[in-house]
Amino acid sequence: MKKIMIFGVPLLAFLVLVVFLFSGLFSDPRELDSQVKGKPMPAFSLPDLMKPETTYTPEVFKGKVTLLNVWGVWCVTCAVELPYLTELTEQEGISIVGLYFDQDLDPEFGTKTLNRVQQEVEEITSRFGNPYQFHIFDVYRDTALDLGVTGAPEHFLIDHNGVIRMHYIGDINERVWNNKVGPLYAQLQQEMAQENSAE
Amino acid sequence: MKTVILTVLLLISASVVATEDSYEFDTPQQRQLFLSLTEELRCPMCQNQNIADSDAMIAHDMRRKVYNLVKQGKTGDEVIDYMKTRYGDFISYKPPVTPVTMWLWLAPVLFALLAFVMVIVRRKSTPPEDMAAKLAKAEAMLKQGDK
Repeated sequence: MKKIMIFGVPLLAFLVLVVFLFSGLFSDPRELDSQVKGKPMPAFSLPDLMKPETTYTPEVFKGKVTLLNVWGVWCVTCAVELPYLTELTEQEGISIVGLYFDQDLDPEFGTKTLNRVQQEVEEITSRFGNPYQFHIFDVYRDTALDLGVTGAPEHFLIDHNGVIRMHYIGDINERVWNNKVGPLYAQLQQEMAQENSAE
Repeated sequence: MKTVILTVLLLISASVVATEDSYEFDTPQQRQLFLSLTEELRCPMCQNQNIADSDAMIAHDMRRKVYNLVKQGKTGDEVIDYMKTRYGDFISYKPPVTPVTMWLWLAPVLFALLAFVMVIVRRKSTPPEDMAAKLAKAEAMLKQGDK
């Protein structure tokens, strides 16, 4: 009995530690529980990046399933995913809207003009592809903060009622689309079709 | 006279240091609150830094937000809650006590208790009589050696 205790207890403790550390190998510390999932888009009233006289509110997301792409020209990974996102819009007709925010356009110590930002966006989208319907310009980055955005690129899948159904941190490539985002997108499309036919 | 000049100089230099901070507050309490909040809030980008320490863009934005909220007269708890509704419990370095996180505090205490119990049990399992008997035996052997 004593022998079992002497060998068994440390062995058990060791095994528990191994399982704990082993599971840690595959966990992504950047994966956070999204607080906005299942909630409607937070209130905002923001201008269009290209046509600042146009103003958008959360109403703009109603009536169709949208992929909101948080991005900026300063973000390298965002440029990397542009060709694939463009492919998605062309092949599957996905509606992608940009939530644009700029690093250098600091609300308090602004150094960049709006013209310069527009020019840079044009340059990038003509080089790598333009999947965007339009860009919502998050001037003070308040909406990004409300959405719990930690950086760029990040994506929000918004259903036809304007409710956020998924918050995906990182770039969307073929693997991510096929395994994570795509299936939910198809489901949301189905939900919309069902609701429309029920009415 | 010298001490007066020195005091004045010291006072001036203190105010110079204070203005290095780009945020200005109405009261020293607000500044104190801002400093303690930015130390307690964790940067979601550079996860092992607080937002006072981090240079990530999100940390800049969060500092600005904390500053604005403090300026509006929000209490520390209100600011923490504001961030928690957006980024989750993760954002605060002080985790809330829930059935899951309770073990963070309980485990060390339980471990110490267990060790304490084991020390006591061990002590009891080696009776002192045994030791006395051994000593007597050793003494006897020594005496034999002397002869």
